[in-house]
Amino acid sequence: MKYNKAFLFFIFLFNLSTLTSQEKFTLSGTVSEKNSNETLIGATILVPELKTGTTTNEYGFYSITLPKGIYKIVITYIGFDDIIETIHLERNISKNFGLLETSESLDEVIIKENVEKLNIRKPQMSLNALSAASIKQIPVVLGEADVIKAITLLPGVTNAGEGSSGFNVRGGAADQNLILLDEATIYNSSHLFGLFSVFNPDAIKDLKLYKGGIPARYGGRVSSVLDIYQKEGNKKEFHTNGGIGIVASRLLVEGPLKKDKASFLFGGRSSYAHLFLPLFDLDNIAYFYDLNTKISYKLNAKNNVYISGYFGRDVFSIPDSFENTYGNTVVNFRWNHLFSDKLFSNVSLIYSDYYYGLKLDFVGFDWNSGIQNFNVKYDFKHYLNNTFKLQYGLNSIYYRFNPGKIEPSSPTSGINPIKLIDKYAFENAVYIDTEHKITEKIALSYGLRFSTFSRLGQDELNIYENNQAVVFNEDFQIYESAEAISAETFKRSDIIKSFSNLEPRFSLAYQLNDQASVKASYNRLSQYLHLLSNTSSPTPLDVWTPSGKYIKPQLLDQFALGYFKNFNAYSLEVESFYKTIENRIDYIDGADLIANDAIERVILNGKARAYGLEVLVRKNKGRFKGWLAYTLSKSQQQTEGRTVTELGINNGNWYNTPYDKTHDISFTGSYEFNRKWKFNANFLFQTGQPTSYPTGQYEFNGITIPRFSDRNENRLPSYNRLDFSIHYTPKPTKKRGLQGQWVFGIYNVYNRRNATSITFGENRITGVNEATRLAIFGIVPSVSYNFKF
Amino acid sequence: MNFSKKNISMPSLNIKHYKNDRLFMNKKIYCLILFSTFIFSCEDVITVHVPVAEPRLVIDASINWFKGTSGNKQQIKLTLTAPYFDNEIPPVNNAVVTITDANNITFAFIEEGNSGIYKNSTFRPVINGHYDLTIITNGQTYTAAETLMSVSSIDFVEQKNDGGFSGDQIEIKAFYTDPADEKNFYFFEFINDIPTIPTLEVYDDEFTDGNQIFAFYNEEDLSQGTSLTIRNYGISERFYEFMLILLQQSGNDSGGPFETKPATVRGNCINQTNPENFPFGYFRLSEVDEVEYTIN
Repeated sequence: MKYNKAFLFFIFLFNLSTLTSQEKFTLSGTVSEKNSNETLIGATILVPELKTGTTTNEYGFYSITLPKGIYKIVITYIGFDDIIETIHLERNISKNFGLLETSESLDEVIIKENVEKLNIRKPQMSLNALSAASIKQIPVVLGEADVIKAITLLPGVTNAGEGSSGFNVRGGAADQNLILLDEATIYNSSHLFGLFSVFNPDAIKDLKLYKGGIPARYGGRVSSVLDIYQKEGNKKEFHTNGGIGIVASRLLVEGPLKKDKASFLFGGRSSYAHLFLPLFDLDNIAYFYDLNTKISYKLNAKNNVYISGYFGRDVFSIPDSFENTYGNTVVNFRWNHLFSDKLFSNVSLIYSDYYYGLKLDFVGFDWNSGIQNFNVKYDFKHYLNNTFKLQYGLNSIYYRFNPGKIEPSSPTSGINPIKLIDKYAFENAVYIDTEHKITEKIALSYGLRFSTFSRLGQDELNIYENNQAVVFNEDFQIYESAEAISAETFKRSDIIKSFSNLEPRFSLAYQLNDQASVKASYNRLSQYLHLLSNTSSPTPLDVWTPSGKYIKPQLLDQFALGYFKNFNAYSLEVESFYKTIENRIDYIDGADLIANDAIERVILNGKARAYGLEVLVRKNKGRFKGWLAYTLSKSQQQTEGRTVTELGINNGNWYNTPYDKTHDISFTGSYEFNRKWKFNANFLFQTGQPTSYPTGQYEFNGITIPRFSDRNENRLPSYNRLDFSIHYTPKPTKKRGLQGQWVFGIYNVYNRRNATSITFGENRITGVNEATRLAIFGIVPSVSYNFKF
Repeated sequence: MNFSKKNISMPSLNIKHYKNDRLFMNKKIYCLILFSTFIFSCEDVITVHVPVAEPRLVIDASINWFKGTSGNKQQIKLTLTAPYFDNEIPPVNNAVVTITDANNITFAFIEEGNSGIYKNSTFRPVINGHYDLTIITNGQTYTAAETLMSVSSIDFVEQKNDGGFSGDQIEIKAFYTDPADEKNFYFFEFINDIPTIPTLEVYDDEFTDGNQIFAFYNEEDLSQGTSLTIRNYGISERFYEFMLILLQQSGNDSGGPFETKPATVRGNCINQTNPENFPFGYFRLSEVDEVEYTIN
């Protein structure tokens, strides 16, 4: 009942703010790019007379309610010419604006202001926005512009080293990031083990990364939200753009299906390095591809529909021995409907899955695993008045987990077929979120999300003595898997176990002056899914598992405090955060996570904590643009014994997570000499990742065994690297026909051998112990060519 | 640039990476692909200063009953742990070492000189027999209990000359037949007469129960005329779990982003005097089948 009370409280607030009405009218509509009708996210609608304004939402929609009057409205969006228009607001007006890209004279250098300019007034903090254009500027290994590589240059974002998948936000694990592509969840963001991410930079319109102060409309992951929107496609004319690189190439076609009404976008990307492997006399195949499609249809002024899809696969194969395929599939239908000029709604129907398949011919088996889900979201944005904005909605996700299936690949195979038991779950949430401007100086955002998770019936759920699936062997002081005493089979409609959580979210901004503000936030989030992975970085074969009888949902509390300032072309952001996570799963030593039908037998519930300080100095306009980020942080986890006699994991002591980096400095910048030549550089310095060095050795059964003690007690040598790239646009003024651009890059200019790992073992021949450093990238030159027409 | 050429030609990326697990669901598979994808990667041996922990007793009490022998002669090796880069492993001398069987017969193991190797020549192995080990050294008493496990014979050995990632490596499969409807665990040892360290593997029968299946061996320097000793030991589930972790942590091929976190690996021996000062190693009793094979 207490939940209902909380809801009523919000309804009350909602009414309170609508009651205080005088004669007011609403101006609403969309802002788009005039030449393509591509909607613009985050365009500003300013009313200078009232010192107020609003911005467009993810679908380009805006709504602002003002007292009756005549106003001069200014529409601005970075890189576009402003529109100034006088509006006679004597009734509700619906008006769409089309902005034109700023046209420069021949020798003028583009002095664009950056899209990602800091908003000091809004209570939202811990948010980083990146445009597709700035992602494409950042020098990357092998010249392939990449979303995940770009965000790891931001403060508070890191990864578990080169060649590792995913990313880590504020000391959180890679499976704690909610990655949304057009509102659909992506389960694995990497191709080729993190060498590339699954997002085609040409298809992306906008991305936002929420590291804290996460709004109530998001839920299900505790660490961060990476919210990516794809372009809708040009509604006026056909365009093609693409790029040819040394590893991969991409092509994107967009155009009208029905002029000004409907558009399509179709993008494809594939690597082709494997085509050269025969030159080295190798038949091995390693490649990836992905396809992005989208159809947008504007039914009328009040209704828009979108159908979008993503399909990506990585393929590795070694003839006659091994074949491995994995990737994401997403199909998404969305319908935007305007109930009124103040009430915007979006319904999303989403199917997404992750598939993993492995065929080992020389052992004789086929393996596949994956996760599927059906997701319904209904979101409302309610622009009540100038000072009060409400967002509310609901979300239901149905999951099916396939932990694995094994089949013999030939009749002579010695493998028996086995199907691991499928798991099912149903996740529901309702939320309400407000943005409330209290005074000229104080803005609040507060919200509540109520989430529930039901583990649905399955076959043969094990039952253990004392409900303990892991037992502690006191004689040997080790954790061991318990033997099930029986198993219970449920109907699919049964609920085995359910959880519910109230997740309050709160942010506050206090404006110190026109240029500076302080912000504070608190949020609680819950996560019901866990990626089973006991390696430093997730691997593609890791499987997701739902919370249930033996695994509890992860619960996060995060506090953040920040100071924000704009000065001239610069902005400064200083934030500190503290977070704790309950029920972070940990694994007993030697846990085998793959093809394990009773995963609860190797899992213990632990906890995690992280805290840190982030500083970001950013230059947003001028010939030189870029940022310098510094993060000082700590990220640890702990799994104590369940009783006093139990040892816990790592003797119950806190230990560093594999992505804990005390100091993390990143610099990225671009300098525009003129419109033909642009120079970009990155510099990174990071404390070495935690690792375990042996504290001794011993002999057993004829081989030498390293002796290890505490987990992640030691560190790899520090990581540092410098990258350069040069963009050369031969004909910068050409706006029709083929327009090309060359990108020349050098990654790791001074060829530092940054250790990805150091392993300890016997020399295969001499048997002498040695430490072997693995460095994935030395100096890597690259060249690529991008084009559009 | 001195990037090791081996990652370009990849002969060293052998299937040895696929060890430990019959299913080969090992993450090492990914290390291997990772390295083969990133032809820019390089490995080199570096100097690292490592911490040194206090020495501890290491018990290598491996009782092996080769099929067709009496199994009377057995030995137990006692050593101490040493700093990681030391070349010498110190033996433990003057310990009192005994094994007692289910009939309360005690077999005393006597040290040979100052070798740290303790021998007995009257041992009586019994399949599924229960044995207790007691070691007294340095004023502390260590004990362990274990059962002697039987093993299936090696049926035959198969050789393939076009294996490995480069397609020109010699692969060996040693086939055996798993008894149906019971849990079985296997410990394989492949010893060659070229100077390389032995290859050890452990297997379970979770996915191969009752079938004829093989242990896999691949060593890049194998050539015609190399003689191989292949041993198959019957082991308990606990030893399987123990050895699996040990092998994961000792492999020269481990590491990279997909390594599992190393930890202290405790065997089945207990320090009764001071449990905190636990020993390393294991008390194992196995029936063993041995096959000699010459590469042709």
